[in-house]
Amino acid sequence: MTDTTQQQVFDIIAKQAKIDVAIIKPESTLKDLGIASLEAIELIFDIEEHFNITFPDQQGANFDTDTTQSLVDAVQKALDEKAAAGEGSK
Amino acid sequence: MSTVSMRRVVITGMGAISPLGVGAEALWQGLREGRSAIGPLRHPDAERLRVKVAAQVPDSFDPTANIEERTLIMLDRTSEFALHAAREAIAQSGLDFSRNGLGVRTAVVVGTGVGGENTQDEQSKRLYGENSPRAHPLTIVRVMTNASASQISIAYGLRGPTFAVASACASANHAIIQAAQLIRYGMADAAITGGTEACLTYGALRAWEAMRVLADDTCRPFSINRRGLVLGEGAGIFVLESLEHAQARGATILAELAGVGMTADATDIVMPSAEGSSAAMSQALADAGLNADDVDYINAHGTGTQANDVTETKAIRLAFGTHADRLAVSSTKSMHGHALGASGALELVAVVGALRDSVVPPTANMDKVDPACDLDYVPNVAREMPVRAALSNSFAFGGLNAVLALKRAP
Repeated sequence: MTDTTQQQVFDIIAKQAKIDVAIIKPESTLKDLGIASLEAIELIFDIEEHFNITFPDQQGANFDTDTTQSLVDAVQKALDEKAAAGEGSK
Repeated sequence: MSTVSMRRVVITGMGAISPLGVGAEALWQGLREGRSAIGPLRHPDAERLRVKVAAQVPDSFDPTANIEERTLIMLDRTSEFALHAAREAIAQSGLDFSRNGLGVRTAVVVGTGVGGENTQDEQSKRLYGENSPRAHPLTIVRVMTNASASQISIAYGLRGPTFAVASACASANHAIIQAAQLIRYGMADAAITGGTEACLTYGALRAWEAMRVLADDTCRPFSINRRGLVLGEGAGIFVLESLEHAQARGATILAELAGVGMTADATDIVMPSAEGSSAAMSQALADAGLNADDVDYINAHGTGTQANDVTETKAIRLAFGTHADRLAVSSTKSMHGHALGASGALELVAVVGALRDSVVPPTANMDKVDPACDLDYVPNVAREMPVRAALSNSFAFGGLNAVLALKRAP
């Protein structure tokens, strides 16, 4: 894997929102990028499928107001946990 | 100007199979005691599911009780619930459909969100999972969304207008409204109506997980710490009659179904709009000839999701103005869960109970009120108070709103 987690997540967001990846900033919220409601849930699904991870259920989940950086962090956390679990089972 | 003089519609029987037990009385007793039937999910795949809790019909429900084997084999769990609830409602009404051609003048309208989901899931597993070359021959008659309505029609010889209504979480209310309209406009003298749902299958649970609207602990409508809805199941079935038909036979009338309101938000497929649902409430009031200040209680849609509870609160304020502050508003989904296409029917049992017994059921699991939800939600404990008239709200994914206005028995 050559792309960083952030690049991969931003690429998925750009594709979902049909926007240029260059305009996505770490501090942008999904709402800023025009991704609301069901599209946000769809984006979460796309990210889960891409990385083969499952996000935990959030307390009062509201992805619309999350920043893209918090999404990247959540992906990285899930990837780290997956890697740790993989090592543990060896 | 209307030239049709509408007949008044009353409720003379009710039955329920719910997470709080078998029978409408078990449901009502549980609700007025503030008892929540939400518990750990009982499911063969519970280990690998993220869904942890649900409100399920207890195992004490025996679907085979007093139903012939040749009928049973035709029934998905959805229809089992509906048929048992219908039997209870019809027995309470005391109607004899074989007399005076009443069977021909009786309609059956039953709401369901998805119909025979358990059958669909079982057969899919057979075909795709086990590579079976054939499906069970009764798959279609079990799965079809009209199965419950048809089975009730067949069981009691009811030959009037009979069909299913599907509008997701508003299915029961939409069905009850169609049945009431048939009686109002003289197309039937009586109707068996309500809603039924049994869709806690592996496939459906996975689909709900992916939507990320399910609470992982319990359902806390209007609380700041609410985490989403909790799925339920069950059926509520009612006997409706024209007022004159009920009075002529000296029937015990439980409540009057005085008005109805139906609107669509026409905005978003999942995000609710306060304007759409408030318009449905206003319609139901006007249709019932009620002023806002005639109403004492609203059984809220109250799913416990972030979006619903704030929007519904706004909608109630829009429809009721200053009287909103004097209303008792509760969400019984905090106890019987969200039975989707059956929810409006389970909630109508609560509304009839409130009108009849002058007790408003509470909103359970009310820890700390969300400041954005600023009505009187009858926290945790039922309230004894006179209830002259009440609304029952159901709002569905798809932006569909169906509201019933009930009055005490005349």
